[in-house]
Amino acid sequence: MKEVVNVTFRLAGGETVILSGETGETLMSCAVANDVKGIIGECGGWMACATCHGYVGEEWLSRLPPPSDQERAMLEGCIDVRPTSRLTCQIILDATLDGLSVAVPASQT
Amino acid sequence: MSAAAPLMPEIDFAYDDLPDLHDVLDALRQAGPVVPVQFHGQVAWLVLSHAELAQAFTDTVNFDPAPGYLERTEESMGRTLLGLTGDEHRITRAMVAAPFMPARVRQYVQPLIEPIVQELLDRIEGQEEVEFVSAFTRPFPFTVITRLLSIPVADEALFLKWAVKLIDHPWDPDGAMEAKAGFDAYMEGLIEDRRHRPQDDFITMLVQSEFEGRTLDNERILSLFRLLFPAGSDTTYKNGGSLFAAVLSDPAVRALAAQGSDADRAAIVTEGLRWQTPTALLPRMAPHDAELGGVRIKAGDWMLFGITAANHDPMVYKDPRRFDPARDNRELLSFGRGVHFCLGMHLARRELETALRLVFERFPALRLTPGKPVEFISAILRGPRALWVQPYGGSESLSGVS
Repeated sequence: MKEVVNVTFRLAGGETVILSGETGETLMSCAVANDVKGIIGECGGWMACATCHGYVGEEWLSRLPPPSDQERAMLEGCIDVRPTSRLTCQIILDATLDGLSVAVPASQT
Repeated sequence: MSAAAPLMPEIDFAYDDLPDLHDVLDALRQAGPVVPVQFHGQVAWLVLSHAELAQAFTDTVNFDPAPGYLERTEESMGRTLLGLTGDEHRITRAMVAAPFMPARVRQYVQPLIEPIVQELLDRIEGQEEVEFVSAFTRPFPFTVITRLLSIPVADEALFLKWAVKLIDHPWDPDGAMEAKAGFDAYMEGLIEDRRHRPQDDFITMLVQSEFEGRTLDNERILSLFRLLFPAGSDTTYKNGGSLFAAVLSDPAVRALAAQGSDADRAAIVTEGLRWQTPTALLPRMAPHDAELGGVRIKAGDWMLFGITAANHDPMVYKDPRRFDPARDNRELLSFGRGVHFCLGMHLARRELETALRLVFERFPALRLTPGKPVEFISAILRGPRALWVQPYGGSESLSGVS
């Protein structure tokens, strides 16, 4: 049974959009399905393109499983990396992430 | 080997020019998402639909590209990324990825990519008419690679000869192996030099790269270098030709390319990659018996990943023949999908965006030569047969600038 997970994206221009994702889908696919500008996910979610970089709200960082070595390596090569940087294709939505906030980097828009 | 009879048996997708490729693909689409066609005189399964192609790209169990690439290319090319699977691929890719990542590639634009564009455009200066593929779009990405690899200008011709010969192995194995020996000896010298005297450059990034406790040996680095030319030069040059052909054919797109923002040019480049994909049909070999799109494919069968067909799939793209930089292109398959997604994507995009910006800065009146229509050819590596342009518009305006 899928549950709704609400996610807030802050776009590079400052605008905020609130989306209803589903448990089990990735944050990237939720963003792409809802046309969030700046989250591209061109490789389809395989940590191979670095086009779904996002900044996770600080209060959420500790609630996410830490990035794998491969995600860490990809993030190192992204533009304007911050301590809150994650690849959104590696964040799988579940009920505990209801209310998650993510900002889109200016470099991807 | 499959016993299916090819559709449209008068066409061989390996050899025919197919200026009408998109009409052919649309006709074949009526027969299903995956259809048998002729390729090198044999039957190959052509994947036409976006959904099935995305599935084939990402199903690395049933459609692992490695066995086919190794069988066809290992002797001359070595074990390139396309010939690796599973953890070996994951770790090797992570080690070679650093110089291709977006932050790093952005640093190449000003010191490396822009000067190459300007040098090539210098040679066009003052000419009334030029063939833009041979004058610009072909030498441009090749030179980006040789400069990234720190090859002196004087050795570029030698390098081009080796790079072309390396992938000629099926037709000239001795020549290819001779080219490999020359290429390897030359590049190994540069790799060893950086191991002892690190610099702030591409080769040093690779020799110093480390992931999960592993580092790259010389052969792994060489196999990446051997792949750079076919993967990064031929593709980008074909696409560059198609891109300029499209932009120069449409006044609105041309105005956007010349006067728009970097984001506008990025959108034009992306639409160019969709509209006339350079790796139009990507040959693969099926490693296992598998089913795709309702057909049964046997181990050892040829497949043609119809990237350009998927990028024109009417289920995904409305009015697919129209060049529209404003469309949502996030489902683009030009760089593949999944773990083998093109490592050079960011570099290719920055090259094409930079070319668009600088070409119109230098030659704002650039136009296609009237009466010399552009014809796109080949179903494998597709691009314009020739692209005749007038840098200063009509000949009457040349005297005004010289």
